[in-house]
Amino acid sequence: MPAIAFYVATIIVYGAVDSMACLALNVQFGFAGLSNFGFIIFQAGGAYVAAVLSMGPWQKSNGGFQQYVLGWHLVWPLPWIGAALFGGLLALPFVFLVGKRLRGDFAAVGLLVSAVLLNQLVNNFVPLFNGAAGISIVLAPFSGKWDPQGLGYQFAYGGVAVVLCVLVYFLLRRVTESPYGRSLRAMRDNDVVADALGKNVRVQRTSMLILGGMIAGLSGAILVGFINLWAPGAWGYAETIVLFAAIIVGGAGNHKGAVLGALLVPLGFEEVTRFIPPLSNPALVPALEWVAIGLLIIGFLWFRPDGILPERRRILSRSATSSVSVPSGDESDSLINLGNLDQMDFRQLLRLEGDPSDHGIILASDRLTRDFHGVTVVSEVSVEFQRGRITGLIGPNGAGKSTTLAMLAGTLAPTSGRVLYEGRDITSMPSNERAKSGMIRTFQLASEFKKLTVLENLVSAIPRQSGDSFAGALRGRRYWGREDVENIERASEMLEGFGLTQYADSYAGGLSGGQRRLVEIMRALLAQPTVLLLDEPMAGVHPNLAHKIGDQLTRLAASGMTIVMVEHELAIMDAFCDPVIVLAEGRVLAQGTMSELRAKKEVVEAYLVG
Amino acid sequence: MSVELTKQGLVLSTSGLSAGYDGRAIVSDIAIEAAPGKVVSVVGPNGSGKSTLLKSLVGVVKVLEGHVTVGEHEITNLASEEVAMIGVGYVPQIDDVFPPLSVKENLEIGGYLLSRREIPSRIEMVLDFFPRLKTMMTRKAGKLSGGERKMLAMGRVLMLSPSVLVLDEPTANLAPMVATQLLEEFVRGFADHGSTVLLVEQRAKAALRISDWTYVLGGGRVVLAGAPKDLEQNPLFVESFLGGSSTARSVHDE
Amino acid sequence: MSVFLSSLGFGLISAAVLAIATVGFTMQFAVTNVLNLAYGSVMINSAFITYFLNYHAHLNAWVAMIGGVCTGAIASYLLNRFVFTPFQRRNLPPITIVIVALGVDLCGTFGLQAIVGGSYFSYKQSLGRELHFWGMYFSTLQLIIIGICVVVLGLIHWLLKYTRLGKAMRATSANATLARNSGVRTQRVISSTWLISGALCGLAGTVFAMNTGVFEATSAQLYIVLMLAAMFLGGPGSAYGAMIGAVTIGVATELSAGYFNPQYKEVIAFVVLLGMLTFRPYGLFGSEKTI
Repeated sequence: MPAIAFYVATIIVYGAVDSMACLALNVQFGFAGLSNFGFIIFQAGGAYVAAVLSMGPWQKSNGGFQQYVLGWHLVWPLPWIGAALFGGLLALPFVFLVGKRLRGDFAAVGLLVSAVLLNQLVNNFVPLFNGAAGISIVLAPFSGKWDPQGLGYQFAYGGVAVVLCVLVYFLLRRVTESPYGRSLRAMRDNDVVADALGKNVRVQRTSMLILGGMIAGLSGAILVGFINLWAPGAWGYAETIVLFAAIIVGGAGNHKGAVLGALLVPLGFEEVTRFIPPLSNPALVPALEWVAIGLLIIGFLWFRPDGILPERRRILSRSATSSVSVPSGDESDSLINLGNLDQMDFRQLLRLEGDPSDHGIILASDRLTRDFHGVTVVSEVSVEFQRGRITGLIGPNGAGKSTTLAMLAGTLAPTSGRVLYEGRDITSMPSNERAKSGMIRTFQLASEFKKLTVLENLVSAIPRQSGDSFAGALRGRRYWGREDVENIERASEMLEGFGLTQYADSYAGGLSGGQRRLVEIMRALLAQPTVLLLDEPMAGVHPNLAHKIGDQLTRLAASGMTIVMVEHELAIMDAFCDPVIVLAEGRVLAQGTMSELRAKKEVVEAYLVG
Repeated sequence: MSVELTKQGLVLSTSGLSAGYDGRAIVSDIAIEAAPGKVVSVVGPNGSGKSTLLKSLVGVVKVLEGHVTVGEHEITNLASEEVAMIGVGYVPQIDDVFPPLSVKENLEIGGYLLSRREIPSRIEMVLDFFPRLKTMMTRKAGKLSGGERKMLAMGRVLMLSPSVLVLDEPTANLAPMVATQLLEEFVRGFADHGSTVLLVEQRAKAALRISDWTYVLGGGRVVLAGAPKDLEQNPLFVESFLGGSSTARSVHDE
Repeated sequence: MSVFLSSLGFGLISAAVLAIATVGFTMQFAVTNVLNLAYGSVMINSAFITYFLNYHAHLNAWVAMIGGVCTGAIASYLLNRFVFTPFQRRNLPPITIVIVALGVDLCGTFGLQAIVGGSYFSYKQSLGRELHFWGMYFSTLQLIIIGICVVVLGLIHWLLKYTRLGKAMRATSANATLARNSGVRTQRVISSTWLISGALCGLAGTVFAMNTGVFEATSAQLYIVLMLAAMFLGGPGSAYGAMIGAVTIGVATELSAGYFNPQYKEVIAFVVLLGMLTFRPYGLFGSEKTI
């Protein structure tokens, strides 16, 4: 009887530790899109710190047979707090890998290699880690007062572990079910676009590394306090793969899925194999376990990549009339009803400021040039954009329009030349900063956040949300809730004006081409642009719809917004843009109104017809 | 100019062709025909689907409905390498050369379907056509200027001695004089030597100057077709480019 | 000076094995755009096949080696055909395929361990005389390995530069669509690439085991670090970059072992890899457009 009781206590502790680890990794991978193949480093690091903080100085402990540092003999819970802090600190050296320039799979491999090498170091470096032997006789909390081998102690330990795990669960939920969580998921779905809407990708990823690292460190501390051993062999890089398997099986992007995966894979697996009778080859069972993990990964990614408990669709609560979510997009874009748009008060909805009659220069470029492997794509382009006007940017394919737009928005760095915004030289300002200053761009290719609903896509763009920061998220719904409800209302109003209310709770990835275009435009507007840079916004859009959009853009400009539109559709240029800048072969060919340009022979000859 | 550079042409024709990405048609109901010895051009404003049309002929974009035939071969949705084997040479608008390969190697890949013995003599012929490439044989294609790249791109496709040439905006990014030379000397020259040439061009007037027949695309459909001199007189022609008129729009109102 | 030279000697043999391995690895990346993290498991399985053919089937060492090479070729081909290609058709993010590759690596490495057990195996044969010249020490076996490496890399160079298939491989890596438009059967080219790179993988595993002398099922798992460092140094997808990267990393790790601590010689590879990923992920010889 007692043996089973001890066993149950052990299961409880392991279950809590594994669940905590999976919850943390899931937030990094499933929610933020950060493939932390080096997760084990943080767990092992936390465990180590907990061990050496709780034990006495090595020379005096147990005859001094093992070496390690610190040894401050701290009382619980200090070692565990230290473990969590250390786990967070460990994230900092990896900041360089998580910027927006490095491919996700390359960064993941960098983290994996770090885990491999740190394990190697640890195996060998005796003064710090006691080499391959690891550190044993790690003191359990309060081992002076109570007997760690006692059943009561072990159940109490398990209880504490479970409580901590539950707290972690609620903490992480608080982070992910906030506006900040939305931004994380947006970054996961499309980091380039998230950046263009003002999110700081590097900071967000670093925060997730730190948060996950802290929880990983804590989970390691809990484990090492229970099993009283810290052995490098237990912290191999492959352990991270087990956790990934758990998340893939349980469901990435779902907290309950992470817990389920933890109970099924690291816990369930280990325990099931415990009951297999010993075979002739003692290495056989562990080896087959690894094979099974590999097969689980491949199998689930092929047959059920969303896991057992897939990520939940988030229906944002709002007071508007209830909408039935429509699973697929309506094909006929011509039927899109932009009914209420004319009644929408843009100045109020989009918080537009500034004097609509002011047509001073707000944005300008000075000899902007971009080379690409010896080919000059944009050459000495100097243009000016007036406030409150819609300036068109046209030119044949390859004229450099999109490249110029990208350089203005900051998503591409110029080879030479400057970009000036409101009189300031912003050439070295990163794109997300420009977005926060009011320069919002759209993209030519589909750029919606696919696994966010349409409403979430829109709300995520609204700037300066108090809940859209790590600190803000931690303060909870009481802090950002009311503002969020207001933001959702604004987004709903926008959605209604554009006639797409019935898609509010549909995944943005499932809409038709024209609808996705509208979502993109709405999202850009909700970002409260001072300058709106549109990259072929009408591409693939039915002409009737395009004209309706154009009418609204005109109203926006009249309300004070500055709009720059790269377009091919000359009809649109003619109807809505004034002035128009013509680029050809990377240079400015001419500028003026469409009728002026049509009158200029060289323009007509070179581009429009000849 | 060498006579064997291009083979005697085949007739390229489509009927009821619809093509696009992910099951959504960008061009619909296209019926065009190009005959040996003729230059047929497809012009139209941007976004009208010209590039997509060409790509659907050579297996780069999926044909959703309709047929494409070359001579007696039905090539609808045939794999690109098989289309090349039939003798259709395609020059895309961008990504038209292999940047890490040298000029010589680019040409050799162009001649992939030839036997080993034939390659040197064909390279000779192509270099006669584009003598400027002679001095750059060992240079990597990625380091060429725009005009040199285009020459190489056309040279690559000539290695195949194609009976049908499909060219997507060959003068894009070229200086006007080079562009004119390309069209009037080379493109017209290919046709004059018997091959079939189908050309998409943004410089519509220039294209008309060398074409025997022209299709105007708008909103994914053929809106006008005819001999260049007739089209030039047609007021709808200019308007379909510059837009702003109700007639151009009404063609694709449902 | 003698430390320098003897370390250099070790570095050369290390570089030889690493070069064969990395060239194969980078060729797979070039043509499929996938970081094949299951490469190590194919290496070690090939090594074991060679060993068993040699010791248990009593075949001549060279014949056994050919067995290992073939194992690598076939296994890699099957891996691409039945795992990577089907997954790639699903348009998943690149990280998913990397995770799949890790899963395959687990199956391959530990499936092997399940069969052969966890104990170490060793090549008991004499390694031949120890030769030394110019301050460097080599056994006969090591000289043979270096010789094999030079020959094989020469063959790869000849393949890529002078043969029709090699140019087709380079063209397919650069622009698969254009290659198809030129008549190249890119499917076949890709399969051939996996066969050839797989052969390199098998050869690398075999000589790796012979060189270390003592090995077991998980011996190749650490090797991925060195390969990645060598590949990213020269530029992902570039065979010549891989050769240069491998020589650099091979020599650098042994020099650091000679001058500092042999137990941490991989650290320098680690530093190089992280440095390249942070500052120049397209390698010393590549440019932003190549990845």
